[in-house]
Amino acid sequence: MKRSARARDLLIEIGTEELPAAAVEPALDALRDRLCASLDAARLGHGALEVYGTPRRLAVITRSVSGRQPDRIKKVMGPPSRAAFDASGTPTRAAEGFARGQGVQIDALEVVDTPKGQYVAARIEEAGQQAEEILPELLHSVVAGMPFKKSMRWGEVGVSFARPIHWLLALLGTSVISFGYGDVASGKRTRGHRFLSPRSFALQSPRTYLERLEKAKVIADVDTRRQKVLEDAQRALAEHDSGWRLRDDPELLREVTQLVEWPVAIVGSFEPAHLDLPPEVLVSEMRHHQRYFSVVDESTGGLAPAFVAVSNTPVSDPDVVRAGYERVLAARLADARYFFDTDSSRRLEQRVDGLGRVVFQEKLGSVLDKVERVRALALWVASRLELEKKQRSLGRAITLAKADLTTGMVGEFPDLQGVMGRYYALADGEPEPVARAIEEHYLPRHSGDSLPSTDEGAIASIADRLDTLAGIFGIDKPPSGTADPFGLRRACLGVVAIILDRRYRFSMTSALSEAIALYEGRLTLDAATTRSRVLDFFRGRLRNLWTAKGYSVDVVEAVLTAGFDDVVAALERVEALTSIKKHPDFLSLAVAFTRASNIFAKAPSIDAQDVDPQLFESPTEKALWKSLMSVQEKVDTCLRSHDYAAALHQMIALRAPVDAFFDGVLVMAEDARVRDNRLIILRGIVDLFGRIADFSKIRSEAQGS
Amino acid sequence: MYFQDLILTLQAYWKDRGCLVMQPYDVEVGAGTMNPATFLRVLGPEPWNVAYIEPSRRPTDGRYGENPNRLHQHHQLQVIMKPSPKDIQEIYLDSLRAIGISHVDHDIRFVHDDWESPTLGAWGLGWEVWCDGMEVTQFTYFQQAGGFDLSPISVELTYGLERICMFLQKTENVFDMEFGPGVTYGDVFHRQEVEMSRYCFDASDVDMLLSLFRAHETEAKRLCDMELPIPAYDSCLKCSHYFNMLDARGAISVTERAGYIARVRVLARMCAVAWLESRRTLGYPMLRDSAARSALRLDRDESDAPPKTSGPSKEDGGEQEAGAR
Repeated sequence: MKRSARARDLLIEIGTEELPAAAVEPALDALRDRLCASLDAARLGHGALEVYGTPRRLAVITRSVSGRQPDRIKKVMGPPSRAAFDASGTPTRAAEGFARGQGVQIDALEVVDTPKGQYVAARIEEAGQQAEEILPELLHSVVAGMPFKKSMRWGEVGVSFARPIHWLLALLGTSVISFGYGDVASGKRTRGHRFLSPRSFALQSPRTYLERLEKAKVIADVDTRRQKVLEDAQRALAEHDSGWRLRDDPELLREVTQLVEWPVAIVGSFEPAHLDLPPEVLVSEMRHHQRYFSVVDESTGGLAPAFVAVSNTPVSDPDVVRAGYERVLAARLADARYFFDTDSSRRLEQRVDGLGRVVFQEKLGSVLDKVERVRALALWVASRLELEKKQRSLGRAITLAKADLTTGMVGEFPDLQGVMGRYYALADGEPEPVARAIEEHYLPRHSGDSLPSTDEGAIASIADRLDTLAGIFGIDKPPSGTADPFGLRRACLGVVAIILDRRYRFSMTSALSEAIALYEGRLTLDAATTRSRVLDFFRGRLRNLWTAKGYSVDVVEAVLTAGFDDVVAALERVEALTSIKKHPDFLSLAVAFTRASNIFAKAPSIDAQDVDPQLFESPTEKALWKSLMSVQEKVDTCLRSHDYAAALHQMIALRAPVDAFFDGVLVMAEDARVRDNRLIILRGIVDLFGRIADFSKIRSEAQGS
Repeated sequence: MYFQDLILTLQAYWKDRGCLVMQPYDVEVGAGTMNPATFLRVLGPEPWNVAYIEPSRRPTDGRYGENPNRLHQHHQLQVIMKPSPKDIQEIYLDSLRAIGISHVDHDIRFVHDDWESPTLGAWGLGWEVWCDGMEVTQFTYFQQAGGFDLSPISVELTYGLERICMFLQKTENVFDMEFGPGVTYGDVFHRQEVEMSRYCFDASDVDMLLSLFRAHETEAKRLCDMELPIPAYDSCLKCSHYFNMLDARGAISVTERAGYIARVRVLARMCAVAWLESRRTLGYPMLRDSAARSALRLDRDESDAPPKTSGPSKEDGGEQEAGAR
């Protein structure tokens, strides 16, 4: 009996104990993607999927899920034709058995061609199943396979999830889809707010989901709830003082949204005397520990002695809750003041020796050892960049750069490393560039973060990261898979970002050799291996970075293969090559290069170094040599000014003589001296091109890939 | 509500919910979790419901009695329910109502917090429970202890009694809190805070602590070999305590720190192994549910011994085993 195939909306809600705030949105994405993929795999037509979530529920509404799968014709493969029919074409017992097994008439069998030869096949009409038949198993596996960063088990229930599950709601239109997970069976009941509407209630259809939940004091739509958190906070603040505004903090707003089902904003205040603490400290205390929003005083642009906390429930007397919020913050700020005052009682430089007791890495020694290496490396980089006049403040900044690690404040708020260093340095009377570099040597902390604004900060940051890369690779602990405990990918990308931002031209290979040498034998791998592994790592990051920016893979590969010792130049070469690739003569030049380098690669070694014009047998080779000499000179001039586009345009002038040479001259002449003379010309071409890229890597649509 | 009434009310509440009311352990611990009534009892299949007060020593947290919030020793009310009841959140919220904290008046929230004890080879997932922005309880579903995956799962509730009481009494300084009529917390404990801080930070004998650590480490291993996990665990706790004392004294460098923690974890692991073996040999006497017993194939004839509890799980494996025997 076929029921109607009318499409209905499908609502799934997983009711849980309070999920980690950071887990809700990724879980909703996973729920939507998994359900969508499962419906598609089950050939159940459907419309858009909308997700809803709070700390206590993950929900998805799929619009217009069809009532049943479409019928389909399935081809089942049987025995090979030669086994299914005898010489006269009569079906054998193998064919009969197959037909009977598939429930079709023997004369309905077909012969199909496959890569393995001809086979018989049966066409079977398969009636689509009802959605109600498919969904229970499908929904169970969607729920069971939900990925979480950390899952848990509870009680004696043998299943796991991010937090214990209390109810499952599954409605297709008005009918319940019955399935179970752990000790919970699905139904049509949901629950409202934990405190404001504790009793469960039945839902008749997905249509009323949001509306009924709102009546039960739950705003299930994440964007709506986030907006309400923000607006309520702003409104509460405006009622309090019109000159104040909420400090912008999208990350905190996201988190707070997942801590409440029914947000209620409450404004509180703290002792204005605490405003002389660094604003970063005040903000950290409020946001990290308490999830309070900080408040900006518009008249000064600085912080106001106030905060906005967002409660999960309206309370009978907001003053009681406010007093509680204020009391906790007051205790925390008193602690912060204690740390700040205690920390400030010692100069940063007095803390430097203490870094000898802080381990950087077991095999690589203490942070103090690291500081000394980084300082030497940074001074080396500065001299390469001809920034000797910055060396004094650079050296001082690096000496003090890690000293705040042993302060109480950084112990309490690791995020404030560098920031506290800057404040304490200024309090000690260190010059502004030194203080700033202490903070900036940690930049960029992540991709897209701001970059150091001073040479001191930039060089310190580069040196710190190169030291880490050299050290960790040198003890053979490269990142593997997703495991990158020392943040080497980030370190590498940070170095690249700074170098490109400030257009620092120096030899990466030499810098790494320097960094490795500074370890003075602590590394377990030899210097050459360490350096080549770090360079390979850089190469991989540069390839990903630049191809992600839209440069084509072949161009990036061609440049990186030719070298990236000067990273700034490497990017300029990528840019130049990208634009000249469109030039009509370019492709044949690339082909010529490939040909030259192939011949040259297979050729025996050559004794002679220079071309001997006496040995030329044809005007073509003489012409090529003359062109090469003249182009070489012009290219040299271009390269000295890093004008790679112009250099490439010069090279294009070689196209005609190169083509003529390959058309009219046999390189592998019988006379070894003549042959070598020609090979030397080819080597000149290969070397010239190789200063920009390995052209054999270049692909074009014409060549295919 | 006086400090002593807070304790009595919570104990009575949990007694009525089926928990045994036990007493603090008589060996120094840093937290109620270390009491064998938690660490050992959450292992294995036997049910266990208990509530007890645990005076917890944190040598590094001492402030010579000068800080209004930080103490060398504070009191926890520790609740273990195994298996964790389905409605444990509601039961817990009712316990807050019993001491006068209701959602009608306060913002009560479950804020994600994962718990881990490297020394015990234990971890769990759960929350800090906040009341008006203040953490009042650590609420954890234990997933592993001694490196063993747990089954069934226990829930642990740890109430920070001083801060809850300060909140109820609206006191800003812990020493002003009223312990009982006419007697403050400071009257009872201030001098102890001063002296213990001096002892832990300045006066303790480092050489003695180091030798005690080593002596108890040897003793714990010897006792485990003799299949005496309970006294062995006492020595493990002693090691943990002496480690904390050495740490407060600044006698352990950052490098050595991880090494000491690993040594205590080895002992905790060995005790867990020996304890599980001892319970298995005894036939899990507290496992009374007949279905559960037959699932574990208990109560058959002598030769058909219960199956071994599952082996060490991957995270906490090999090295401790190597150290264990």
